[in-house]
Amino acid sequence: MRIIVDAMGGDNAPQAPVQGALEAIKEYGVEVVLVGRGEEILEALKKEGMGELPQSLSITHADQVVEMCDNPATAFKEKKDSSLTVGLNLVKNGEGDAFVSAGSTGALLSGATLLVKRIKGIRRAAMAPVVPTGGGGAVLVDCGATAEGTPEFLLQFAFMGSYYAERVLGRPEPKVGLLNIGTEPTKGTDLQRETYRLLQKAKEGGRINFVGNVEAREAVEGAVDVIVADGYSGNIFLKAVEGAGLFLTRELKKMFLSSLKTKIAALLMKDSMREFKKLLDSNEVGGTALVGISKPVIKAHGSSNGYAMKNAIRQAVEFGRSGFIEDIMENVEYMRLPVRSATGDGSEG
Amino acid sequence: MFEKLCKLIAEQFGVESDAITKDTAFVDDLGADSVDLMDLSMALEEEFGMEEMDSEDIESIVTVGDLYKYMQEHLDI
Repeated sequence: MRIIVDAMGGDNAPQAPVQGALEAIKEYGVEVVLVGRGEEILEALKKEGMGELPQSLSITHADQVVEMCDNPATAFKEKKDSSLTVGLNLVKNGEGDAFVSAGSTGALLSGATLLVKRIKGIRRAAMAPVVPTGGGGAVLVDCGATAEGTPEFLLQFAFMGSYYAERVLGRPEPKVGLLNIGTEPTKGTDLQRETYRLLQKAKEGGRINFVGNVEAREAVEGAVDVIVADGYSGNIFLKAVEGAGLFLTRELKKMFLSSLKTKIAALLMKDSMREFKKLLDSNEVGGTALVGISKPVIKAHGSSNGYAMKNAIRQAVEFGRSGFIEDIMENVEYMRLPVRSATGDGSEG
Repeated sequence: MFEKLCKLIAEQFGVESDAITKDTAFVDDLGADSVDLMDLSMALEEEFGMEEMDSEDIESIVTVGDLYKYMQEHLDI
């Protein structure tokens, strides 16, 4: 398997992508292609003690870098020789099996959608991070790729989230919940009510294990494996979980350092605390999958270190080997609403 | 060329080619957003060898008929 890595994307590039790539080829036995400014990549390799390119690692030169100030919708077109565009084109042309980048989220999303393309029949690509929950984590789909959703988009997100949880996270018959402000089918706006109806129908057809609406609190407690949301609500949910995690960690630290007694307690609990921190650490997950794209694309966190980049590459490998994209291709007909007549009269066809 | 255009639009938006007329509106009837329209513009470049459309051109096109007219003007046919 050959993973294409954007060596220039993210706050710690190119060092972090280079570190991650070196670790990944050792641990997962994959081939990695680093895309970016050749000299800077070689320099970063030297810092890692690599005088020459190790086997399974290669460099594809790309002169430009997509910056955060570039227009995300058009950056991939305006900077044709950027590491992002060159890397996505390698995947598009079959010269790589998956793409990993810690660069601009918007540019990656537009580039992946327009160069690598969506799976036929999928209306919108979505971002599907695994958020920490009491149930060992849940796939949140979408967390911000599409701010305004339609019931059809959310129906597709639910299917994609379900396949991802089953194939990539290994959850049999994943429980799918619709993020809402109450559990009754009548709760929410028109979007949630109509989506509920579609998901219920998909459940009755035996296509997904829809368990109904889920409130944010229950979702965090681990009631479901898949949290379906429009990008707007999903993003607020994600940021609230991240914020709560940071708040809790900080308060616990404060508490443990407050007296000699609590410091001793902290020492005794060191291992458990490390595990707790790991649970909330985004570096452990690696990145967020862009689902609905015809090839695996992983968005690593902008502040990823080498360890996070290695984990993002691992995620790309698991994604690529999972059969997730094939699942969507085979079942896309069940994720579509009847086509409108498209004659401009607005009637149902 | 109109038939070829309808076929391309049908593929892009997952609708029946026969159902597309010059009055079909991209946003209202096909549920298109800016990414869809950019995707379509890239497909037109590939299929018809048309020059890249800028964002103002894309925004000015509301219906399939508008697009067809734009193509006639820019493809010298």
